[in-house]
Amino acid sequence: MENRKCYLYLNGRVIGYIDEPLSFVGEVRNTRRKGQISGEVNIAYFERPNEIHVNTDRGRLRKPYIIVEGGRSRFTPELSDKLRRKEINFNYLLRNGVIEYMDAEEEENALVAMDPSGISESTTHLELDPASLFGFTIGTSPFPEHNALARHAMSANFIKQSEGLYATNFNQRFDSRSFILFYPQKPLVSTAPYDATGIMNHPSGQNFVVAISTYYGYNMADAIVMNKGAIDRGLGRSLFYKSYSDEERRYPGGQKDRFRIPPPTAEGYMGEHAYAKLSEDGIIEPEMYINDGEVLIGKVAPPRFLEENIGAGGLEEKTRDDSVVLKAGESGVVDSVVFTETPGATRNIKVRIRSLRIPEKGDKFASRHGQKGVIALVVNQEDMPFSESGIIPDLLLNPHSIPTRLTFGHLMEMLAGKASAVTGSMTDGTAFAEDGSKRIDDYGKMLESNGFDRHGEEFLHDGITGSRFKAKIFTGVVYYNRLYHMASNKLQVRSRGKVQILTHQPTEGKARQGALRFGEMERDALIGHGASLLLKERMLDQSDKTTVLVCRLCGSMGYYDYIKRMAVCPMCNSAPMADVEISYAFKVLLDEIRSLHILPSIKLNE
Amino acid sequence: MNEKKREAISEFDVHSGEPVGIIAAQSIGEPGTQMILRTFHYAGIEATIATSGLPRIVELVDARKRPATPITYVYLDSEARKSLEKAESVAKRINEVRMNGLVRRAIENFSKGTVKLILDMQAAEAVELTAAQIAQKLAKATGYEASVEGGSILIRLHTNNMKEIRSASVRLMKKVIQGIEGAGKAIIQQDKSGTFYIIAAGSNVSEIIKLDGVDKSRLYTNDVFAMYNLFGIEAARNTLVNELKKTLKEQKINVDERHLAVVADAMTYAGDIKGIGRHGLSGQKISVFAKAAYEETVKHLVNAATFGEIDHMRGVTENILVGKQIPLGTGSVKLAIKRSGSKKVESEKKQDKPQ
Repeated sequence: MENRKCYLYLNGRVIGYIDEPLSFVGEVRNTRRKGQISGEVNIAYFERPNEIHVNTDRGRLRKPYIIVEGGRSRFTPELSDKLRRKEINFNYLLRNGVIEYMDAEEEENALVAMDPSGISESTTHLELDPASLFGFTIGTSPFPEHNALARHAMSANFIKQSEGLYATNFNQRFDSRSFILFYPQKPLVSTAPYDATGIMNHPSGQNFVVAISTYYGYNMADAIVMNKGAIDRGLGRSLFYKSYSDEERRYPGGQKDRFRIPPPTAEGYMGEHAYAKLSEDGIIEPEMYINDGEVLIGKVAPPRFLEENIGAGGLEEKTRDDSVVLKAGESGVVDSVVFTETPGATRNIKVRIRSLRIPEKGDKFASRHGQKGVIALVVNQEDMPFSESGIIPDLLLNPHSIPTRLTFGHLMEMLAGKASAVTGSMTDGTAFAEDGSKRIDDYGKMLESNGFDRHGEEFLHDGITGSRFKAKIFTGVVYYNRLYHMASNKLQVRSRGKVQILTHQPTEGKARQGALRFGEMERDALIGHGASLLLKERMLDQSDKTTVLVCRLCGSMGYYDYIKRMAVCPMCNSAPMADVEISYAFKVLLDEIRSLHILPSIKLNE
Repeated sequence: MNEKKREAISEFDVHSGEPVGIIAAQSIGEPGTQMILRTFHYAGIEATIATSGLPRIVELVDARKRPATPITYVYLDSEARKSLEKAESVAKRINEVRMNGLVRRAIENFSKGTVKLILDMQAAEAVELTAAQIAQKLAKATGYEASVEGGSILIRLHTNNMKEIRSASVRLMKKVIQGIEGAGKAIIQQDKSGTFYIIAAGSNVSEIIKLDGVDKSRLYTNDVFAMYNLFGIEAARNTLVNELKKTLKEQKINVDERHLAVVADAMTYAGDIKGIGRHGLSGQKISVFAKAAYEETVKHLVNAATFGEIDHMRGVTENILVGKQIPLGTGSVKLAIKRSGSKKVESEKKQDKPQ
C-alpha cells in the first residue's frame, strides 16, 4: 500500500497516476484560484487509500469559503471596505481567488475556521459567516444555536407548511390549493439570511404577543389559547384558494364532451337544484356563493358504452352527466373563472374557489423554534389576562412546553421581540452573531430603559375576576406562522352513508364520505369487556349485514323466485329454505370458495 | 375462614365467560410497547450475560428450544454452601473446559499424520490442569495416541489422509476436557448472607444434578426446555412465569402475575411447551376460519376442503367473521327454554364438504 502509486480519479474514473500527490493537488488548486481553470473543478486527496479525486460533474453540493494562506485571510480589511462601498462585489472576490467553492470531498482536505479569531497556522479556509453553517429554513430562525437539534428538524418542516404571501401574482394563478395570509408581517427578530434570501418580501407569519401562562387547562399538551379580539382584528386570518378545471375531451368516433347544463335525460343527472347557480353556458359565474354538491362546470359526455341502435330512429341523443361538483365539506365563493384552450385545441375551463379561513378551534400555529400548537379555545378579549399597561396577549403558551423541549431560543425571541416592539426597532437574531448572555443583557437594558421589567416578566390580571396573579408572567413577542393544517379542511362526519361494492362495508376516507375503521384492536377491546352484542352491532348490524336463503336440507345458498313466489334451492330444486343473517363479507368468502370448485354448506340448528 | 371472608374473596374470582386471554394480552402488551425504546442494564454478571427486554420476551413466548443465553443457578448443599473451597470443587466439576479454550494453535502435519496442539499454559493453569493431565484426558476421550512435548501435545493419528487429519483436529478442539458438556462457564457467587452458589452459563441441568454437593431441590435454569426435560411440565410452566416476571420487572414494567400465568398455562396445558404463533397455539385452533383468518389462508381452506372439516363455530374469530354473537362475556349464556309463540331464533352451524 505504501509504495503504491497515487491513482487519479476524474469524476469517479481512474485516468492515471501521480507520483507527488500533494504537490499536484496544490498546483491544481493554485491554478484554479488564479482563474486559469474553471472554479467548478474540485480536487481532493485522500491519504489513506492514496487517491486523488477530481470532480467536475453536476449535482455536487458546494459552499463558498474565504481562502486562508499562511494564517492570513485573503479577505483583507481593504477588500472589506471596498465591498462595503460597493466598488467590488462577490463575483470579484470569486474571480480574484479570495473566495472559492468547495464540494463535500474537497472539504475533507480543509481546516475551516469559524471566524477570523480562530485562524491558526494550519487553517486553510474561513467561513463567510458562522451562520452559513445552516440552510435556508434554520438560517431564517432566530437564535438557532440556543435550541435543541430535534426542534430544528420540526421547525424546518413547519416553516415549509406556513401560510404567507407565496407569490405576489397569486390572484392570476390557478394553483390547485393555495393559502394567502391577510396581513403578513416581517419578523421583529430577523436574521441575516432572512434579508439575504429576499424572503423579507414574502413573509409568512405575524408577530404575536405571547404570554407563557396556563388558561384553565385549555392549553395543555400543545394546545394554545387565542385572543378573539386579536383574531377579529385580522390576526392569522387567511384565504384558501382551490382550483377546479375541466376540458371538452374528444373521443374516438367523432364524439366529444360539451359544456352545458345537462338535460334531465342525461345519465347521472343530479337534480335541478345542483345546476341552479350555473349561467346559460353551463359555467358558474364569479362571486357566486357555492356549497358542496353544487355544480361548478356543467358538462355532458357521450355514453360510456356504445349502444347498438345508435343513430337509428329520431330518438334523442343519449348523454351522460360529467359535471364538476364541489367536493363534500367544501364551500366558498367563486373567485375567478378562466376560459382557455389546451394544446390539444379543446376548450378548457378553470374555476378558482376562494374561502375565508379565520383562526378557529383546531387550527395549527407554530413559532420558528419547533413549538407547534393547536387552538383549543378562543377567548373573548375581556376574559383574557391583561397587564398593568393594558397589554392583552394574543396567544397563551403553556409553560410545560418549554423545559423538556429545550427551546431556549423561543424565550430569547420573546425577549428580543418585546425589546424591539418597545423600542420600535428590529433586532437581529443571526446564529452565533453574539454571545447569548450578552444578548439577554442588551434586551433587558432596552426593556428597562422603556419602563419594562428587564426579564420580560409582567404582572398579569385575571380577565374574569380582575385580580392580579401572584406570579409574574413572562410576556413577549414571538413570530408565529399559521400552518395550513386547519380543522375546517379536515372535518368530516357520517352516520349512514356509502358502502363499498365488493364487501358492502362502509367506505373509508374523507373524500368518500367514509366511516372510521373499527379495527382489530378496537375489536379486541370489546371482546375484553365481554360486550358481545355491542361487538355484533359494530361488526354486523352497522356494517355489512345481509340476509341469505339457506337450504335446510343441503345447506347451500338459494334465491327467491319472484315468478313462482317461492324460495328455491339450486341443489334440491325446491326445499324448505331459511332466512339466515350473515355478514356480506362471509357471503363473498363462500362465493370465492365456490369459485375454487369447493362446495361449502351451512348446517342449521333446529 | 369464616363465611363472610370467603364470600369477599370470591368476589374477586374470575367470572365465567371472562375473556382472560385478551385481558392478559392487553395487560402485557400495553406496557410492553415501552420496552422497545429503553433497555435497562444492571451491574453484575447476570445482567451482562443474560438476554433481557423484548428479545427475551419473544424468546420465551416463541418457546425456542435453545435460549440465546442459558443460565443455571446451582445452589449447594448445607456443607458446600459455607466453604469456598468446597464450592470451588463443585464449580470445577461443573465448569465446562473445551480444548479450543486451552490451545493457542493447532498445527496439522499431513505428511507425518500428526496434530501438534500448542497449549495456552495460562489458560490451563486457570483451570488447574497440567499438560500431562490434558494429554491423558484427551487420549482417554478420543482414543488417540497423545504425548507431551514441552508446552504442547502431539497427537499421532497414523494416517496420511488429509481429510481424516483435518476432521480429527476439528473434533479434538471441540472435546470437553473437564467439567460438564453444555454447562458453560461456572462462576462462584456469594449472597448477602455469605452463602456460596454457582452461576453457570449453560443449561445442562440433567448432568449438574448428578453432582455431589449440589442442592437438588433448588436447581434452577432459565432454559424452559431444560427444566421441562428434567422436572416436567409443571416446572416448565413455573419457569415460564418466573422468567417472564423477571424480564418485565427488570424493565420496570408492572404486570400482574396472573396475566403471565394465563400465558404460561396456555403454552403448557397440553403437556408439552407450545409457542404462541403459527407453529404453536394459533396453529392448533380447531376452527378452520380462525386459522385461515390468522395466517396461510389458502393452505387452511384447501386442507379443510380436502378432509371435509366441520367448523363448529365455538371460537371468537369465526363468529365475528360470519356475524354471530361471540360465545364470550354476555354471549356465553343461552336461553334454556324458549317461550312458545315467540319468533324462532335462528342459529347456524357451518360445514365444509369436499365436492
